[in-house]
Amino acid sequence: MAGSKMRISKKVRASTIMEVLIAMTLIIVVFGIAMMIFTNVLNSSLSVKKIRAQAILQQTMLNVEASRNEVSQSVSADDFRIEQEIKPYNGNAALIDVRLTAFDNNQQKVAELEKVILNKND
Amino acid sequence: MLKASALYIVIIIALVIAVLCSSLIVATYFYRGEYQKKFRYDKLQNNLNSGVNILLAGADTSYNTGTTFSLYHNEADSVTLKKIFWGMYNIGTSVAFVQKDTVYKTFSIGYNLDSGKWAALYLIDEDRPLSLSGKTSIIGDTYIPKAGITTAYVDNKAYQGDKRLVIGARKSSDKTLPPLLQSRLDQFQRFMRNYHPGDSSISRKDSVVQSFLLPTKYFNFKKAVQNIANIQLSGNIILVSDTTIIIDTTAHLKNILVFAKSIKIKSGFNGNCQLFAKDSINIDSNCRFAYPSCLGILRFGQPGLAPGQEYIHLGNGCNFDGIIFTYEKNMSALKPMVDLGKRVKVTGQVYSLGGLRTKDSVEVDGSVFTSQFLYQDSFTLFQNYLINITMSSKALSPYYLTGDLCPVAGQKKKVLQWLEVK
Repeated sequence: MAGSKMRISKKVRASTIMEVLIAMTLIIVVFGIAMMIFTNVLNSSLSVKKIRAQAILQQTMLNVEASRNEVSQSVSADDFRIEQEIKPYNGNAALIDVRLTAFDNNQQKVAELEKVILNKND
Repeated sequence: MLKASALYIVIIIALVIAVLCSSLIVATYFYRGEYQKKFRYDKLQNNLNSGVNILLAGADTSYNTGTTFSLYHNEADSVTLKKIFWGMYNIGTSVAFVQKDTVYKTFSIGYNLDSGKWAALYLIDEDRPLSLSGKTSIIGDTYIPKAGITTAYVDNKAYQGDKRLVIGARKSSDKTLPPLLQSRLDQFQRFMRNYHPGDSSISRKDSVVQSFLLPTKYFNFKKAVQNIANIQLSGNIILVSDTTIIIDTTAHLKNILVFAKSIKIKSGFNGNCQLFAKDSINIDSNCRFAYPSCLGILRFGQPGLAPGQEYIHLGNGCNFDGIIFTYEKNMSALKPMVDLGKRVKVTGQVYSLGGLRTKDSVEVDGSVFTSQFLYQDSFTLFQNYLINITMSSKALSPYYLTGDLCPVAGQKKKVLQWLEVK
């Protein structure tokens, strides 16, 4: 077997340099656009933080309505600082305007909620 | 021979990536859209419930005409509030909207009971004692004449109830009943005095449903006796007649008002409505009225030359949930009467300026305010005798709400019934 030569019977036709260049350009452009879209989608999608803050504010509002202790205060809940502002609504002692604002760790406002509730102490 | 064809493969890959990217964009678009919808909806719900609270806290005369305003003087916080006179109660409508999104609630408003005035029995003091006989039971606080309560032997039957006679506190009653609320009576009087144009016939219809967000639908039958049968009437509908309205058992009434000279309900009727008559309300046997129903005799004019006695009659086996009352502005010799047949069960309140005539096995879960009791057997009419009656203020649901017309109504308004919610 020594000295015998291997014969390649099949031939692979090479692409032209022009074809390769166009293909490379095209795939770079397509990948580029795809990455831009993906980044945009990631950035513009709603943050889980905001959704969570909204849910916490709704729960806090329910607690304020159920309790008889309606005072302005600041409380922490689940990585958020919630500012609870209470004031009479349009001078009507029977109504209270409750405004809840959620701030994150960077003191950025994430969500807010406002509702007029009945004053149970009236 | 294998083809290299790099461009061909790249185009295929580019197409696949394009499809993936577009599906990602579409999914994100819908997710964002749905979330923003929910966010807007939550905000609208908050504004809507704020409107409900404002209606519950406001004076009765406020928002009688629909008012649209900004809740907090910000963007996207507009509500429209309206309060409608609806017989014994008021109806509140709260509508919150942002651009094309609208949510609304319509509800009836009731009052909690004033525990200081609430009693199972209030019998005015006419210097006569109240006599109990048979299987009579009074549970709850009572306002009774100073002459007190005694037991009596009627039809060879002794008193067989609790030895305490009254299971609850006994207080002295006055010479007159606590008055009905004048402002509500004025509203009734204005309504009955005004002319309400409307359709004079409801024939060839099988159902009429009117939202409380729309103007009230009137049917004014004028001086023609009208038989209401084979029809469903629901919502913001008022039937008015200068004479008699007969309501058949095949009619389904829900939350509507009926004003007439006299009203007759045929046996087996089942519904929920408020009936107001100048002369009489006659309810045949085995009818069921669901809460919150109301029967009222309202006479504001002068009695005629030969006035008949106004009355409300509930036939045997009727079941009534709500308020029964009589009112006469200018008292005639024959005071309006409430007449309860055998086995009638009233869950709510009975307020009778004249008297309350009862038969065997009457049960009132709630309260009775009356000037006198009448009990009639085959031969004899007994005055201020309670025979085989059960009265229990404790049997009434703690969530029961009354109308402000009643003297036992408290100050606090609550939602009695959600009528329409979107």
